[in-house]
Amino acid sequence: MARYQEGDFAAATALVEGISPQLHRFFVAQLASRSDADDLLQETWLRIHRVRHTYRSGEPVLPWFYAIARHVRVDHYRKAIRTRVHEQRLEEISTAAATVSGKGRPPDDLRDVLAPLPESQREVIEMLKVAGMSLEEVARATSTSVGSVKQKAHRAYRKLRETMSAMGSRKGQSGGQA
Amino acid sequence: MIDREIDETLKRVSQTPHAVEPVLLGSIADSVKATLQPVRCLPPTWILACGLALLCAAVAVAGAARAGFYGVEKMNSLQLMLFFPVLTILIAVAATEFVNAMIPGSLRKLSSSALLATNCAVLVGVLGLLFRDYRTEHFLSAGIICLLTGFLHAIPAGLLCWLMLRRGFAVNSVSAGLVAGTLAGLAGVGVLELHCANFEAAHLLVWHTAVVPVSGAAGAVLAWALRWQGGRIAEASAQRTPMS
Repeated sequence: MARYQEGDFAAATALVEGISPQLHRFFVAQLASRSDADDLLQETWLRIHRVRHTYRSGEPVLPWFYAIARHVRVDHYRKAIRTRVHEQRLEEISTAAATVSGKGRPPDDLRDVLAPLPESQREVIEMLKVAGMSLEEVARATSTSVGSVKQKAHRAYRKLRETMSAMGSRKGQSGGQA
Repeated sequence: MIDREIDETLKRVSQTPHAVEPVLLGSIADSVKATLQPVRCLPPTWILACGLALLCAAVAVAGAARAGFYGVEKMNSLQLMLFFPVLTILIAVAATEFVNAMIPGSLRKLSSSALLATNCAVLVGVLGLLFRDYRTEHFLSAGIICLLTGFLHAIPAGLLCWLMLRRGFAVNSVSAGLVAGTLAGLAGVGVLELHCANFEAAHLLVWHTAVVPVSGAAGAVLAWALRWQGGRIAEASAQRTPMS
Protein backbone atom coordinates (compact mmCIF):
# COMPACT_ATOMS: atom_id res chain seq x y z
CA MET A 1 0.00 0.00 0.00
CA ALA A 2 2.87 2.39 0.84
CA ARG A 3 4.46 1.68 -2.55
CA TYR A 4 1.12 2.32 -4.25
CA GLN A 5 0.97 5.69 -2.47
CA GLU A 6 4.48 6.40 -3.75
CA GLY A 7 3.26 5.88 -7.32
CA ASP A 8 4.59 2.35 -7.98
CA PHE A 9 2.46 0.83 -10.78
CA ALA A 10 3.56 -2.76 -10.07
CA ALA A 11 2.39 -2.38 -6.46
CA ALA A 12 -0.90 -0.88 -7.61
CA THR A 13 -1.50 -3.81 -10.01
CA ALA A 14 -0.64 -6.33 -7.29
CA LEU A 15 -3.09 -4.62 -4.96
CA VAL A 16 -5.85 -4.54 -7.60
CA GLU A 17 -5.35 -8.25 -8.27
CA GLY A 18 -5.08 -9.18 -4.60
CA ILE A 19 -7.97 -7.21 -3.10
CA SER A 20 -10.49 -7.17 -5.97
CA PRO A 21 -11.79 -10.76 -5.56
CA GLN A 22 -12.54 -10.09 -1.87
CA LEU A 23 -14.34 -6.84 -2.62
CA HIS A 24 -16.21 -8.44 -5.53
CA ARG A 25 -17.37 -11.26 -3.28
CA PHE A 26 -18.48 -8.67 -0.71
CA PHE A 27 -20.70 -7.00 -3.31
CA VAL A 28 -22.09 -10.33 -4.55
CA ALA A 29 -22.84 -11.39 -0.97
CA GLN A 30 -24.88 -8.17 -0.57
CA LEU A 31 -27.26 -9.58 -3.19
CA ALA A 32 -25.81 -7.58 -6.09
CA SER A 33 -25.91 -9.18 -9.52
CA ARG A 34 -22.58 -10.09 -11.10
CA SER A 35 -22.69 -7.13 -13.50
CA ASP A 36 -23.66 -4.76 -10.66
CA ALA A 37 -20.77 -6.15 -8.61
CA ASP A 38 -18.42 -5.45 -11.54
CA ASP A 39 -19.64 -1.85 -11.73
CA LEU A 40 -19.37 -1.42 -7.96
CA LEU A 41 -15.84 -2.82 -7.99
CA GLN A 42 -14.76 -0.35 -10.66
CA GLU A 43 -16.39 2.53 -8.79
CA THR A 44 -14.72 1.40 -5.57
CA TRP A 45 -11.28 1.44 -7.19
CA LEU A 46 -11.91 4.92 -8.57
CA ARG A 47 -12.67 6.14 -5.03
CA ILE A 48 -9.78 4.19 -3.51
CA HIS A 49 -7.45 5.79 -6.02
CA ARG A 50 -8.85 9.27 -5.38
CA VAL A 51 -8.53 9.05 -1.59
CA ARG A 52 -5.44 6.82 -1.29
CA HIS A 53 -3.68 9.57 0.68
CA THR A 54 -6.12 8.98 3.59
CA TYR A 55 -4.53 5.60 4.37
CA ARG A 56 -1.77 5.93 6.98
CA SER A 57 0.87 3.19 7.22
CA GLY A 58 0.58 1.17 10.39
CA GLU A 59 -3.21 1.20 10.31
CA PRO A 60 -5.02 -2.02 9.30
CA VAL A 61 -5.52 -1.95 5.56
CA LEU A 62 -8.57 -4.22 5.08
CA PRO A 63 -10.97 -2.02 7.09
CA TRP A 64 -9.85 0.96 5.00
CA PHE A 65 -10.71 -0.88 1.75
CA TYR A 66 -13.98 -2.24 3.10
CA ALA A 67 -15.07 1.15 4.49
CA ILE A 68 -14.76 2.65 1.00
CA ALA A 69 -16.42 -0.38 -0.65
CA ARG A 70 -19.29 -0.12 1.82
CA HIS A 71 -19.65 3.60 1.08
CA VAL A 72 -19.86 2.85 -2.67
CA ARG A 73 -22.49 0.15 -2.06
CA VAL A 74 -24.61 2.49 0.09
CA ASP A 75 -24.36 5.19 -2.61
CA HIS A 76 -25.44 2.65 -5.22
CA TYR A 77 -28.37 1.59 -3.03
CA ARG A 78 -29.51 5.23 -2.61
CA LYS A 79 -29.28 5.81 -6.35
CA ALA A 80 -31.28 2.64 -6.97
CA ILE A 81 -34.03 3.86 -4.63
CA ARG A 82 -34.18 7.22 -6.45
CA THR A 83 -34.47 5.59 -9.88
CA ARG A 84 -36.76 2.74 -8.79
CA VAL A 85 -39.91 4.80 -9.22
CA HIS A 86 -38.99 5.66 -12.80
CA GLU A 87 -37.85 2.19 -13.73
CA GLN A 88 -40.54 0.11 -12.06
CA ARG A 89 -41.25 -1.95 -15.15
CA LEU A 90 -37.59 -2.64 -15.94
CA GLU A 91 -37.11 -3.67 -12.32
CA GLU A 92 -39.90 -6.23 -12.57
CA ILE A 93 -38.37 -7.68 -15.73
CA SER A 94 -34.90 -7.94 -14.18
CA THR A 95 -36.31 -9.51 -10.99
CA ALA A 96 -38.10 -12.10 -13.08
CA ALA A 97 -34.87 -12.78 -14.98
CA ALA A 98 -32.93 -13.09 -11.72
CA THR A 99 -35.48 -15.58 -10.40
CA VAL A 100 -35.14 -17.70 -13.50
CA SER A 101 -31.33 -17.56 -13.44
CA GLY A 102 -31.35 -18.17 -9.67
CA LYS A 103 -32.79 -21.64 -10.22
CA GLY A 104 -29.49 -22.70 -11.80
CA ARG A 105 -27.37 -21.59 -8.83
CA PRO A 106 -26.21 -24.10 -6.24
CA PRO A 107 -28.36 -23.81 -3.07
CA ASP A 108 -25.35 -23.38 -0.80
CA ASP A 109 -24.04 -20.28 -2.56
CA LEU A 110 -22.80 -17.60 -0.11
CA ARG A 111 -25.58 -15.28 -1.28
CA ASP A 112 -28.21 -17.94 -0.50
CA VAL A 113 -26.80 -18.61 2.96
CA LEU A 114 -26.78 -14.92 3.88
CA ALA A 115 -30.03 -14.03 2.09
CA PRO A 116 -32.32 -14.24 5.17
CA LEU A 117 -30.25 -11.62 7.00
CA PRO A 118 -30.86 -7.87 6.92
CA GLU A 119 -28.20 -5.85 5.12
CA SER A 120 -26.35 -4.62 8.22
CA GLN A 121 -26.03 -8.16 9.65
CA ARG A 122 -25.11 -9.65 6.28
CA GLU A 123 -22.13 -7.33 5.83
CA VAL A 124 -20.89 -8.02 9.35
CA ILE A 125 -21.03 -11.81 8.83
CA GLU A 126 -19.39 -11.48 5.41
CA MET A 127 -16.51 -9.47 6.84
CA LEU A 128 -16.09 -11.64 9.95
CA LYS A 129 -16.50 -15.10 8.50
CA VAL A 130 -15.63 -14.78 4.83
CA ALA A 131 -13.04 -12.00 4.71
CA GLY A 132 -11.65 -13.21 8.06
CA MET A 133 -11.52 -9.80 9.70
CA SER A 134 -11.39 -9.34 13.48
CA LEU A 135 -14.21 -7.67 15.46
CA GLU A 136 -12.21 -4.46 15.73
CA GLU A 137 -11.48 -4.43 12.01
CA VAL A 138 -15.18 -4.87 11.21
CA ALA A 139 -15.99 -2.05 13.63
CA ARG A 140 -13.48 0.15 11.78
CA ALA A 141 -14.90 -0.77 8.38
CA THR A 142 -18.50 -0.12 9.41
CA SER A 143 -17.75 2.99 11.53
CA THR A 144 -19.41 1.43 14.56
CA SER A 145 -18.28 0.17 17.96
CA VAL A 146 -17.02 -3.35 18.66
CA GLY A 147 -20.08 -3.90 20.87
CA SER A 148 -22.42 -3.08 18.02
CA VAL A 149 -20.58 -5.53 15.73
CA LYS A 150 -20.86 -8.26 18.38
CA GLN A 151 -24.57 -7.59 18.74
CA LYS A 152 -25.17 -7.74 14.98
CA ALA A 153 -23.17 -10.98 14.68
CA HIS A 154 -25.13 -12.49 17.57
CA ARG A 155 -28.48 -11.56 15.98
CA ALA A 156 -27.32 -12.81 12.59
CA TYR A 157 -26.36 -16.19 14.07
CA ARG A 158 -29.75 -16.46 15.80
CA LYS A 159 -31.49 -15.75 12.50
CA LEU A 160 -29.25 -18.21 10.61
CA ARG A 161 -29.90 -20.89 13.24
CA GLU A 162 -33.65 -20.46 12.85
CA THR A 163 -33.51 -20.46 9.05
CA MET A 164 -31.19 -23.45 8.78
CA SER A 165 -33.21 -25.43 11.33
CA ALA A 166 -36.40 -24.69 9.39
CA MET A 167 -34.73 -25.76 6.15
CA GLY A 168 -33.43 -28.93 7.80
CA SER A 169 -36.85 -29.92 9.17
CA ARG A 170 -38.51 -29.15 5.79
CA LYS A 171 -35.90 -31.31 4.05
CA GLY A 172 -36.55 -34.08 6.59
CA GLN A 173 -40.31 -33.93 5.98
CA SER A 174 -39.93 -34.04 2.19
CA GLY A 175 -37.44 -36.93 2.59
CA GLY A 176 -39.99 -38.80 4.73
CA GLN A 177 -42.76 -38.31 2.16
CA ALA A 178 -40.50 -39.61 -0.62
CA MET B 1 -28.48 -26.23 14.62
CA ILE B 2 -25.44 -25.09 16.61
CA ASP B 3 -23.07 -22.22 15.87
CA ARG B 4 -20.25 -24.60 14.87
CA GLU B 5 -22.37 -25.96 12.03
CA ILE B 6 -23.12 -22.43 10.83
CA ASP B 7 -19.40 -21.64 10.99
CA GLU B 8 -18.65 -24.74 8.92
CA THR B 9 -21.30 -23.85 6.36
CA LEU B 10 -19.94 -20.31 6.04
CA LYS B 11 -16.37 -21.63 5.84
CA ARG B 12 -17.36 -24.08 3.13
CA VAL B 13 -19.12 -21.51 0.97
CA SER B 14 -16.38 -18.94 1.51
CA GLN B 15 -13.69 -21.38 0.37
CA THR B 16 -15.23 -21.72 -3.07
CA PRO B 17 -12.96 -19.76 -5.41
CA HIS B 18 -14.26 -16.35 -6.44
CA ALA B 19 -12.60 -15.01 -9.55
CA VAL B 20 -12.97 -11.61 -11.16
CA GLU B 21 -12.80 -11.25 -14.94
CA PRO B 22 -9.14 -10.56 -15.90
CA VAL B 23 -10.42 -8.01 -18.43
CA LEU B 24 -12.09 -6.08 -15.61
CA LEU B 25 -8.94 -6.20 -13.47
CA GLY B 26 -6.92 -5.02 -16.46
CA SER B 27 -9.24 -2.06 -17.08
CA ILE B 28 -9.10 -1.10 -13.38
CA ALA B 29 -5.28 -1.28 -13.40
CA ASP B 30 -5.19 0.83 -16.58
CA SER B 31 -7.47 3.50 -15.12
CA VAL B 32 -5.29 3.61 -11.99
CA LYS B 33 -2.13 3.89 -14.11
CA ALA B 34 -3.47 6.92 -15.99
CA THR B 35 -3.35 9.12 -12.87
CA LEU B 36 -0.81 7.30 -10.70
CA GLN B 37 1.38 9.82 -8.89
CA PRO B 38 2.98 9.91 -5.45
CA VAL B 39 0.64 11.31 -2.80
CA ARG B 40 1.26 13.01 0.54
CA CYS B 41 -0.41 11.03 3.33
CA LEU B 42 -2.51 12.70 6.01
CA PRO B 43 -0.74 13.42 9.32
CA PRO B 44 -1.48 11.25 12.40
CA THR B 45 -4.85 11.62 14.14
CA TRP B 46 -3.44 13.40 17.21
CA ILE B 47 -1.82 16.16 15.13
CA LEU B 48 -5.05 16.79 13.23
CA ALA B 49 -7.10 16.69 16.45
CA CYS B 50 -4.75 19.17 18.16
CA GLY B 51 -5.00 21.45 15.13
CA LEU B 52 -8.81 21.33 15.23
CA ALA B 53 -8.88 22.00 19.00
CA LEU B 54 -6.56 24.98 18.58
CA LEU B 55 -8.75 26.34 15.77
CA CYS B 56 -11.83 26.12 18.00
CA ALA B 57 -9.97 27.79 20.88
CA ALA B 58 -8.77 30.55 18.53
CA VAL B 59 -12.32 31.20 17.25
CA ALA B 60 -13.67 31.29 20.84
CA VAL B 61 -10.99 33.71 22.06
CA ALA B 62 -11.24 35.90 18.95
CA GLY B 63 -15.03 36.07 19.26
CA ALA B 64 -14.86 36.96 22.94
CA ALA B 65 -12.07 39.51 22.33
CA ARG B 66 -14.34 41.29 19.84
CA ALA B 67 -17.39 41.21 22.15
CA GLY B 68 -15.63 41.56 25.52
CA PHE B 69 -14.50 39.08 28.21
CA TYR B 70 -17.35 39.97 30.63
CA GLY B 71 -18.24 36.37 31.49
CA VAL B 72 -14.78 35.16 32.38
CA GLU B 73 -14.15 38.32 34.44
CA LYS B 74 -17.27 37.65 36.53
CA MET B 75 -16.55 33.94 37.14
CA ASN B 76 -15.13 32.80 40.49
CA SER B 77 -12.03 30.59 40.66
CA LEU B 78 -14.00 27.33 41.06
CA GLN B 79 -16.08 28.10 37.99
CA LEU B 80 -12.94 29.00 36.04
CA MET B 81 -11.02 25.91 37.14
CA LEU B 82 -13.84 23.47 36.46
CA PHE B 83 -15.70 24.74 33.42
CA PHE B 84 -12.87 25.52 30.98
CA PRO B 85 -10.90 22.26 31.51
CA VAL B 86 -14.15 20.30 30.97
CA LEU B 87 -14.86 22.30 27.80
CA THR B 88 -11.29 21.62 26.60
CA ILE B 89 -11.75 17.87 27.14
CA LEU B 90 -15.06 17.92 25.26
CA ILE B 91 -13.44 19.80 22.36
CA ALA B 92 -10.50 17.36 22.28
CA VAL B 93 -12.83 14.33 22.19
CA ALA B 94 -15.05 15.89 19.51
CA ALA B 95 -11.98 16.86 17.43
CA THR B 96 -10.64 13.29 17.60
CA GLU B 97 -14.02 11.88 16.58
CA PHE B 98 -14.22 14.35 13.69
CA VAL B 99 -10.80 13.22 12.44
CA ASN B 100 -11.94 9.58 12.75
CA ALA B 101 -15.12 10.38 10.81
CA MET B 102 -13.06 11.90 7.99
CA ILE B 103 -10.62 8.97 7.61
CA PRO B 104 -11.99 5.66 6.28
CA GLY B 105 -11.36 2.62 8.45
CA SER B 106 -10.85 4.59 11.69
CA LEU B 107 -12.12 3.17 14.95
CA ARG B 108 -15.01 5.25 16.27
CA LYS B 109 -15.27 5.17 20.06
CA LEU B 110 -18.58 7.05 20.08
CA SER B 111 -21.26 7.31 17.43
CA SER B 112 -21.98 10.85 16.23
CA SER B 113 -25.36 11.04 17.95
CA ALA B 114 -23.90 9.58 21.19
CA LEU B 115 -21.14 12.22 21.04
CA LEU B 116 -23.72 15.00 20.71
CA ALA B 117 -25.84 13.59 23.55
CA THR B 118 -22.79 13.14 25.80
CA ASN B 119 -21.61 16.69 25.16
CA CYS B 120 -25.04 18.14 25.98
CA ALA B 121 -25.34 16.00 29.13
CA VAL B 122 -21.85 16.98 30.38
CA LEU B 123 -22.46 20.68 29.71
CA VAL B 124 -25.83 20.56 31.51
CA GLY B 125 -24.21 18.72 34.43
CA VAL B 126 -21.26 21.09 34.82
CA LEU B 127 -23.29 24.28 34.32
CA GLY B 128 -25.98 23.01 36.72
CA LEU B 129 -23.33 22.24 39.31
CA LEU B 130 -21.45 25.54 39.07
CA PHE B 131 -24.20 28.12 38.59
CA ARG B 132 -26.91 28.35 41.26
CA ASP B 133 -28.71 31.60 40.41
CA TYR B 134 -32.27 30.41 39.79
CA ARG B 135 -33.82 33.73 38.70
CA THR B 136 -35.22 33.95 35.16
CA GLU B 137 -35.18 37.53 33.95
CA HIS B 138 -35.51 38.21 30.20
CA PHE B 139 -35.32 34.46 29.68
CA LEU B 140 -36.42 34.44 26.04
CA SER B 141 -34.98 37.72 24.72
CA ALA B 142 -31.55 37.32 26.36
CA GLY B 143 -31.53 33.60 25.50
CA ILE B 144 -32.16 34.05 21.80
CA ILE B 145 -29.35 36.61 21.57
CA CYS B 146 -26.94 34.15 23.22
CA LEU B 147 -28.08 31.26 21.00
CA LEU B 148 -27.57 33.40 17.89
CA THR B 149 -24.19 34.66 19.09
CA GLY B 150 -22.99 31.12 19.83
CA PHE B 151 -24.30 29.77 16.53
CA LEU B 152 -22.83 32.65 14.49
CA HIS B 153 -19.42 31.89 16.00
CA ALA B 154 -19.90 28.18 15.40
CA ILE B 155 -20.21 28.81 11.64
CA PRO B 156 -16.63 30.10 11.11
CA ALA B 157 -15.33 27.43 13.51
CA GLY B 158 -17.07 24.71 11.47
CA LEU B 159 -15.83 26.13 8.16
CA LEU B 160 -12.24 26.33 9.40
CA CYS B 161 -12.40 22.76 10.75
CA TRP B 162 -13.77 21.52 7.43
CA LEU B 163 -11.04 23.45 5.60
CA MET B 164 -8.40 21.79 7.76
CA LEU B 165 -9.74 18.30 7.00
CA ARG B 166 -10.70 18.95 3.36
CA ARG B 167 -8.28 16.20 2.21
CA GLY B 168 -10.15 13.65 4.29
CA PHE B 169 -12.92 11.43 3.00
CA ALA B 170 -16.12 10.92 4.98
CA VAL B 171 -17.64 7.49 4.33
CA ASN B 172 -20.79 8.75 6.08
CA SER B 173 -21.08 12.44 5.31
CA VAL B 174 -24.16 13.11 7.48
CA SER B 175 -22.47 11.55 10.49
CA ALA B 176 -19.30 13.56 9.81
CA GLY B 177 -21.42 16.73 9.45
CA LEU B 178 -23.06 16.05 12.80
CA VAL B 179 -19.66 15.66 14.52
CA ALA B 180 -18.28 18.77 12.80
CA GLY B 181 -21.35 20.74 13.89
CA THR B 182 -20.98 19.47 17.46
CA LEU B 183 -17.31 20.51 17.53
CA ALA B 184 -18.14 23.94 16.10
CA GLY B 185 -20.98 24.28 18.63
CA LEU B 186 -18.48 23.72 21.45
CA ALA B 187 -16.43 26.61 20.07
CA GLY B 188 -19.63 28.68 20.17
CA VAL B 189 -20.18 27.69 23.82
CA GLY B 190 -16.60 28.79 24.51
CA VAL B 191 -17.36 32.26 23.11
CA LEU B 192 -20.52 32.51 25.24
CA GLU B 193 -18.81 31.47 28.46
CA LEU B 194 -16.00 33.95 27.90
CA HIS B 195 -18.36 36.75 26.95
CA CYS B 196 -21.81 36.33 28.58
CA ALA B 197 -22.11 37.70 32.12
CA ASN B 198 -25.66 36.38 32.60
CA PHE B 199 -25.13 33.61 35.19
CA GLU B 200 -28.79 32.58 35.66
CA ALA B 201 -28.85 28.79 35.76
CA ALA B 202 -31.87 28.46 33.45
CA HIS B 203 -30.29 30.77 30.87
CA LEU B 204 -27.03 28.81 30.85
CA LEU B 205 -28.65 25.38 30.90
CA VAL B 206 -31.09 26.09 28.07
CA TRP B 207 -29.60 28.68 25.76
CA HIS B 208 -25.84 28.14 26.08
CA THR B 209 -26.15 24.36 25.87
CA ALA B 210 -28.60 24.64 22.95
CA VAL B 211 -25.82 25.99 20.72
CA VAL B 212 -24.32 22.48 20.53
CA PRO B 213 -27.40 20.56 19.25
CA VAL B 214 -28.44 23.44 16.96
CA SER B 215 -24.98 23.60 15.44
CA GLY B 216 -24.78 19.78 15.22
CA ALA B 217 -28.15 19.60 13.45
CA ALA B 218 -27.08 22.37 11.06
CA GLY B 219 -23.90 20.43 10.22
CA ALA B 220 -25.84 17.22 9.56
CA VAL B 221 -28.46 18.99 7.40
CA LEU B 222 -25.77 20.79 5.41
CA ALA B 223 -23.89 17.52 4.81
CA TRP B 224 -27.13 15.79 3.77
CA ALA B 225 -27.97 18.64 1.34
CA LEU B 226 -24.48 18.51 -0.18
CA ARG B 227 -24.72 14.73 -0.60
CA TRP B 228 -28.16 15.01 -2.16
CA GLN B 229 -26.95 17.73 -4.52
CA GLY B 230 -23.86 15.67 -5.40
CA GLY B 231 -26.06 12.64 -6.15
CA ARG B 232 -28.28 14.67 -8.47
CA ILE B 233 -25.29 16.14 -10.32
CA ALA B 234 -23.76 12.66 -10.74
CA GLU B 235 -27.09 11.32 -12.05
CA ALA B 236 -27.47 14.19 -14.49
CA SER B 237 -23.94 13.71 -15.84
CA ALA B 238 -24.53 9.94 -16.14
CA GLN B 239 -27.69 10.58 -18.16
CA ARG B 240 -25.81 12.96 -20.47
CA THR B 241 -23.01 10.43 -21.08
CA PRO B 242 -23.96 8.11 -23.99
CA MET B 243 -24.03 4.38 -23.19
CA SER B 244 -20.97 2.55 -24.45
